[in-house]
Amino acid sequence: MKAILVFITFLISLFTSNFSQAQNINWENLKNNEKHILNANAGWEYSFVYGFSYGYHLKTKMPIILESSISLASGEVIFDDFKTKIGGQINVFQIKNFRFNAAIHGIYRRYENPLLTLQNFGADASTTIGYYKPKWFVAGEFGFDKAIVTHFKHSDIYKEVYPDVKNGWFEPTTGGNFNFGIQGGYSFARSDLTLRAGKVITEDFKSEPLIPFYLQIGYNYKLD
Amino acid sequence: MKNKMLYSAVIAISIFFFLGCENENEIDGVGNLVPKTVDQDSSLPSIFINGTQLHAETFGNPNNPMLVFLHGGPGSDYRNGLNVQQLANEGYYVIFYDQRGSGLSKRHDKNSYSIQLVLDDLTEVIQYYRTFPNQKIFLFGHSWGAMLGAAYVNSYPDKIDGLILAEPGGLNKQLLDDYGEMSRKINIFSEVTSNLLYADQFLTGKENQHEILDYKYGISSSFSYAKGNKEGIPGPSPFWRIGTTVLESFTDIAENDGFDFTTNLNQYTTKVLFLYGELNQSYGLRFAQKEAAYFPNSEISEVKGTGHEMIYFKWENVHPIVLKYLNELK
Repeated sequence: MKAILVFITFLISLFTSNFSQAQNINWENLKNNEKHILNANAGWEYSFVYGFSYGYHLKTKMPIILESSISLASGEVIFDDFKTKIGGQINVFQIKNFRFNAAIHGIYRRYENPLLTLQNFGADASTTIGYYKPKWFVAGEFGFDKAIVTHFKHSDIYKEVYPDVKNGWFEPTTGGNFNFGIQGGYSFARSDLTLRAGKVITEDFKSEPLIPFYLQIGYNYKLD
Repeated sequence: MKNKMLYSAVIAISIFFFLGCENENEIDGVGNLVPKTVDQDSSLPSIFINGTQLHAETFGNPNNPMLVFLHGGPGSDYRNGLNVQQLANEGYYVIFYDQRGSGLSKRHDKNSYSIQLVLDDLTEVIQYYRTFPNQKIFLFGHSWGAMLGAAYVNSYPDKIDGLILAEPGGLNKQLLDDYGEMSRKINIFSEVTSNLLYADQFLTGKENQHEILDYKYGISSSFSYAKGNKEGIPGPSPFWRIGTTVLESFTDIAENDGFDFTTNLNQYTTKVLFLYGELNQSYGLRFAQKEAAYFPNSEISEVKGTGHEMIYFKWENVHPIVLKYLNELK
């Protein structure tokens, strides 16, 4: 049953994720024998999103978690706007209860509205520096999300607006956003309850998304 | 086994690069995602005034009374107001222009815009097309264009011979906020909201990267006509290109400095025609009465069977009201 649960979560998170960051892990509470980390989350990142992720804890000297995630934008049509990510995070070093962590992910995401459909391949990288205790943690985070190459397909509605609009792949990069904020969590038994919040700003540091904040609550369950 | 994995990886990478090379376009390439502006396409009709180049065209006999159409926005264009050109066949010299930084007019830096500058543009547009000194001048503004029309007579009450205001979104900052509160209620869980906001992670044009910024705003326009919208907009209406920078600039001006286009309206004694759409739940008779009260002489008319985009969707109902008003003042 456990294997099926892990497998299903992995598949869902691999093929279906939005601006969900790396899993929020209490590294101090993560035991060597806990290999699988299942996560569910919801919150605001560009729009209201909910997501699932799966992490696999490698048995290495330096703690590493390989992970995949999916997040879906809220709305009547479920699979038109989503983001999937695959990558990992690593606890780079530790000084007493202070830990420095880094994460990197490849991204595939999709967006559709009545005027067009966008598909994008991108990447994100982030760091967290925090204070970790077995029962709780708090950390600051900083990340960058780059939309590297994007495919545009326009509907007839937009072709009415501009008949000569081009479809196809667009380069160079079509966008990039920085995010910075805090995260924290409470751990009990095999579970973590986590919270992230922060601000998003575009890569020129002059403009920002329509809603330039993010907020996410999450739940982790760890299995051997 | 290792060879199979290697072959699979090579095939996957090849497919990725093949897809990546197909129809490769530059994201900020001129004409790729949005139409060219008048400074980029010399085949478009334009005029040079007040240090800028405006997309503009006229209909009718230049010696007839002039009717200048002021489009909405800020940043939109006159494409969805082209029905007004019918008045050219009924004795009026109809002028259309995309305001500075809007539609197909030339773009400028964000920090260059001001209310006074667009009022000066309007003065120069009138001067440019005026064929004799006593030619009567009428303004017909829709939404933001109606706010601009009110601002103009507030500053120059003697220069305009008649004013038609179709649902100005607020003649001062307080009224604008009131209208915004009534018309822009959103459900954060809805598809419409996701459609509006989710694209922010795909496209993030830098300040003054007009091709990207205008495109991004344009593709979010479906928000305005989403099912159940309060403004009674039944579907998409045509536009050429949204001027995002001018929109953001005027939004910043309104937020930071406020505005009040009503301070001198009591000096404008000519009758003003207010129009509101029957189906716009955010505007209605009460809001029209509030705005009309700033003028000494006004008439309010309801346009049946339509909402905010009345000129495009129900011109047949707008036309007789406007024509009657104009003919009374002609």
